[in-house]
Amino acid sequence: MLTCIYEAFNSGMGHKNIKLMLEPIREYTLFDEYVHVNGDVDKAEKVRKSVISKISPHVYHEMCITAMAYEEDVLDNIYHVLILGFSLGENVLNMMQYRDIMRNHEIRLRVGREANRFREVIRFHQVGDVYIAHIEPKSRVAEYLGPVFADRMPSCNFIIVDDVHRDAVIHPADEAFYMMKLTEDELTSILETEKANDEYTDLWKVFFETIAIKERTNSKCQNNLFPMWTRTHAVEFN
Amino acid sequence: MYNIAAEQSIEEKLNILSDAAKYDVACTSSGVSRRGKKGYLGNSVAAGVCHSFAADGRCISLLKILMSNACVYDCKYCKNRVSNDVPRATFTPDEICTLTIEFYKRNYIEGLFLSSGVIRNPDYTMEKICETLRLLRTRYMFNGYIHVKTIPGASSELIYSAGLLADRISVNMEMPTQESLQNVAPNKSMQSILVPMNQITDTIAAHRLAQGKQARMERNGINDYLVDTIWNRADGRIGCDKDYSETNKMLSVSDSSFKYPAEQKDLKLKRDFAPGGQSTQMIIGAGNETDYQIIKTSQALYQRFDLKRVFYSGYIPVNDDAALPAIGTPVPLLREHRLYQTDWLLRFYGFDTEELFTKDNPFLDYRVDPKCNWALRHLEQFPVEINTASADMLLRVPGIGPNSVKRILECRRYGSINFAMLKKMRVVLKRAQYFITCNGSMLGTKLIDYDYIASRLIAEDREEVYAITDSGTCARQMNLFTDFNLATG
Repeated sequence: MLTCIYEAFNSGMGHKNIKLMLEPIREYTLFDEYVHVNGDVDKAEKVRKSVISKISPHVYHEMCITAMAYEEDVLDNIYHVLILGFSLGENVLNMMQYRDIMRNHEIRLRVGREANRFREVIRFHQVGDVYIAHIEPKSRVAEYLGPVFADRMPSCNFIIVDDVHRDAVIHPADEAFYMMKLTEDELTSILETEKANDEYTDLWKVFFETIAIKERTNSKCQNNLFPMWTRTHAVEFN
Repeated sequence: MYNIAAEQSIEEKLNILSDAAKYDVACTSSGVSRRGKKGYLGNSVAAGVCHSFAADGRCISLLKILMSNACVYDCKYCKNRVSNDVPRATFTPDEICTLTIEFYKRNYIEGLFLSSGVIRNPDYTMEKICETLRLLRTRYMFNGYIHVKTIPGASSELIYSAGLLADRISVNMEMPTQESLQNVAPNKSMQSILVPMNQITDTIAAHRLAQGKQARMERNGINDYLVDTIWNRADGRIGCDKDYSETNKMLSVSDSSFKYPAEQKDLKLKRDFAPGGQSTQMIIGAGNETDYQIIKTSQALYQRFDLKRVFYSGYIPVNDDAALPAIGTPVPLLREHRLYQTDWLLRFYGFDTEELFTKDNPFLDYRVDPKCNWALRHLEQFPVEINTASADMLLRVPGIGPNSVKRILECRRYGSINFAMLKKMRVVLKRAQYFITCNGSMLGTKLIDYDYIASRLIAEDREEVYAITDSGTCARQMNLFTDFNLATG
């Protein structure tokens, strides 16, 4: 993404004439020229340094979170926010008078909410002395979950697998976590782990059932707060 | 009453003891921010984390259980009272610790909420609770959130120990007045509730001062922007000039802070005393108290005892008792909802109890939310210009909450704000439109008239009001014969 931004910035075609998109592109337009950009570490690093030094580290951090989103226009939005940032300075994200900033704000809020939601609903299964969790998010929230759970369970071995984007967070006990891309075979074999329920899963289901007050049953409220699409791996509903 | 503890499995115990604990409202894991440590399990997040939502829509954040539902007290509203014939069970400290740790590792919960019926006597019960918490903190190395209930009548050393081991500590007030408490809980007195509450408040303040913090808990967020709130008023504050000698006399406490914990090793853990503050709970609809009395009591608790939260629990009839609503009486969900909204207005919107009630009506108007109700009675203060109004006034506009106010204040430094931007900022325009202008113009033509606005706001809220009153058992098919008095034949 950063390389794309670098190339677009230096293309000299004018910011209004460029639209950055993430591949795969679903609908092509007739009169536009499509340029594929390969990732380049040096160019990406240049953009990163420029954003941090010329705008602010906070804006860079916010853009990193926004970049996790699944929205089609997210890359184009980040590009235009950064252009505004280079001219307006570090407070750019508060200037919601600009349409791009407002859109960025919307995306950022949604990603933040989704990431927090998965922090809540993710469920680990014990396999030996390793705890393994599967998630199916819309955005790439695994990057956010890594540090969160490394702080929560610093002395546990755990793996968080994003089944949709094939990202995995791997945390050996008392060490730093790292991320990796899973191959098809690895993903298939690790999916098997979810079938291993234990007695504590059953106890959790007992607790979940009994803690609800029958006289106050409100499934609409429950569905609002715990949407169906996030329940795929929530053991209490399975 | 029968006891089958010897034959019970952990599943049966969990079933009985979580069922017994479900009427306790507090299930928040908020108020403390603490990072994880190597060798320990868990951290704490100030905003709180809800891990699941039960069938009644309430969040499950903590493993909410009783240590035992065997109780020697006979409170009329309680399912576990001594005169009820219900299955009894008691967890051992190890069972509670294992459940907490294993649930925590699977990310089912954020911590433990531990309460108990009174086994033998308050001190014995409190000692058992402390033993469990000590085990969890020292042998199981649990660093997550713990909320502990104190047992009314327990000695102060034990409460001190509990506070050092837990993150939040609470004493259930149950009823807002001495009279109503006496009616439903003959074994409890207001003094047995207020004395520990007072001691906890003073001890939290002493611990905070020792760390160089201010005595009162932080009320961050929007309260930083407000000039006049219940938190920064001189009267009713801890350590203020107001003379509390009479209150202290009533509570028979001269120097109320704790002297020593029950176990000296608890001090060596170097934990703060209840860093998440204390909370309490009041039952709504079991007595004859008015909304004004309830909210007035809450405000007094916030100001005098610096409580972090007061929870309201709509009474669910579980016992057949002449002093209480009959079994089958609908739960006062709407009243509870409006009381929570009012409570929020006290804590985050700079309101005072006296502003929210009129002299001739000690109850809230349940048709609209209390903020709309206040705005309708003070139409002379509206409309408010979004681009120039103060934070205090913006917060008083229905449909604008603390987050929206912060966004408006931040955004208007760089240019003017219009209605389209307000919508994107998640201002609820269907309510706010009657009370605001952007650059001098309203959204469409609006009358600043009580009847005009009230009828529209009531219509807006009707669906929500219906949804709340209807959830549960009230829904039924309309019937021509009973509802419209059409006679047969």
